[in-house]
Amino acid sequence: MSVETLNALVHAEESGALGRSGALRRLARDKVAVAATLLLTLIALAAVFAPVVAPYDPYLTDLSNVMQPPTAQHWFGTDNTGRDILSRVIFGTRNTLMLGLVGVVIGGVVGGVLGIWAAYYPRADGWIMRLVDVMLAFPAILIGLAVAAVAGAGLTAVVIALVVATVPDVARVARGAAVGVMGQEFMEAGRAVGVSDRTLIWRYLTLNCISTIFVFLTLRFGQIILIGSALGFLGMGAQPPTAELGMMAAQGRDFLFMAPHIATIPSCAIFVIVLAANLLGDALRDVLDPRLQQ
Amino acid sequence: MGRQIVHRLLVSFPALLGVLFLCFCLLQVVPSDPAMIIAGPDAKADTIAAIRLELGLDRPIPIQFADYIGRVLRGDLGRSIISNRMVSEELALTIGPTVELMLGAMLIAVPLGLTLGTLAAVKRGTLLDRLIMAISVAGVSMPVFFIGLILIQYVGFRWGLLPFTGRTGPIWDGGLPSLILPAATLGLVLIGPIARLTRTAVLEVLGADFVRTARAKGLRETVVIVHHALRNALIPVVTLIGLQAAFLLGGAVVTETMFSWPGVGRLAVGAIVSSDFPTAQGAIMILAIAFLTINLLVDVLYVYLDPRLQRS
Repeated sequence: MSVETLNALVHAEESGALGRSGALRRLARDKVAVAATLLLTLIALAAVFAPVVAPYDPYLTDLSNVMQPPTAQHWFGTDNTGRDILSRVIFGTRNTLMLGLVGVVIGGVVGGVLGIWAAYYPRADGWIMRLVDVMLAFPAILIGLAVAAVAGAGLTAVVIALVVATVPDVARVARGAAVGVMGQEFMEAGRAVGVSDRTLIWRYLTLNCISTIFVFLTLRFGQIILIGSALGFLGMGAQPPTAELGMMAAQGRDFLFMAPHIATIPSCAIFVIVLAANLLGDALRDVLDPRLQQ
Repeated sequence: MGRQIVHRLLVSFPALLGVLFLCFCLLQVVPSDPAMIIAGPDAKADTIAAIRLELGLDRPIPIQFADYIGRVLRGDLGRSIISNRMVSEELALTIGPTVELMLGAMLIAVPLGLTLGTLAAVKRGTLLDRLIMAISVAGVSMPVFFIGLILIQYVGFRWGLLPFTGRTGPIWDGGLPSLILPAATLGLVLIGPIARLTRTAVLEVLGADFVRTARAKGLRETVVIVHHALRNALIPVVTLIGLQAAFLLGGAVVTETMFSWPGVGRLAVGAIVSSDFPTAQGAIMILAIAFLTINLLVDVLYVYLDPRLQRS
């Protein structure tokens, strides 16, 4: 068998695993998944185009207009310095989503590479998995606290915490998927024909694991957002006046009894984002990779 | 069984070493020189050098790390920069309330989660099942502080039913009312995942042969579900509780901060905000060790619940 035919076979295997068209059709039939996707798209668009969508400047204070409950001018009311909460929630969503996305993408790449290496190089396996165990021994919030203690509170501390929270689990899932692929005949055939390690890892192994890793990351996204906003709430993340949903909730806590909406609305926004992400993740898993079900 | 626990202890050892190393780094990689902080802003250069010598900061890092482990083993975690008390003393005062909070949360979450999950499995496909599952998905998506904010605002403030700041004392000394709201906040977040997994596990077990046998023997349905189905379904649920330990710890830090609960999490957050590195390092270490211990306990419980593992 030539290398070309083998590569073609591997790709056929890969598209079979992803099963794009069939999976999409099944996903489209799931009403909850469709609603969650629409909602997430809407939220993401609002976040991307925040400067255009937001009715007011999120940093513009108006001391004659503080702690107003929701009105026609300010749909979500105003906060303790008279800033428009709707605009701040839109900008806050942008920061919160960005944090989650950066954490999940970096964590997914690092974890995926570690897991695939562990599966491909048996000699590295023990070491990599031990490293993963050590990372698992540190709950994400603690990492966030530790980094904030060393480097000072800020978005970097949160991103590092989110990456550390993502890496070990992704590494395990990727290793599991990759070990499965390693047992496939085309891997052995590839090696026998003399395909280089690099091609074997990238084109054969990685491409076949990617859908599993992707589904897992979608499933984790909601939790990662929750961890990020909890760190924001604790004051370890974005610093005022930057709008970040968790931090906004923490600031509103001081006015909880006078103007509960200041804290409640950003918390609600986090809830809606995470709920949509979780519903979509569950639906994607059911369609693409039922094996991931616990 | 003993051998498995020993094996598990050996596996957690490198993790423990990693934890210690990170905490050690926390004291080393601080943005400013610890000797300078202790000496104060007006100190002369030779005072700083003397302190550095006294603290052993001039020696190579591996030796300092070994030294650090020695000190930790003796229970010497240094002195708080802010309160000037021993960090070990501060930890001894705060660990009790944290354990109390976590146990309280579990006491609320585990029975409720198990009941809801079992109910959903038994009434599979009905409106009740869907309702329970919808509630648990919502619960999984809820930030801990959101639940806390709602409970503080309504139960604590508007209706004035329960206290919501601080801890009035140990449970046996009239402290129960002040524990309820924080424990409920932390517990409510855990109900969702527990209920969800219990449902899956019970559904799986309900289809098993031994359940059919139990039914065929003419056992009452409650006996079948509680003694046969639920007991076996507990095994994956216990694992899940272990996996949720990280979540429980993180949630505890947030809950303690919200309710001014005098626990280790609040101590850690306060220490970080005020750049009290020795205290922060000690608190983070204790939380990480607590996490390792929970996982160890879960493994032991796992063996206990699944007698098949004891024989092997």
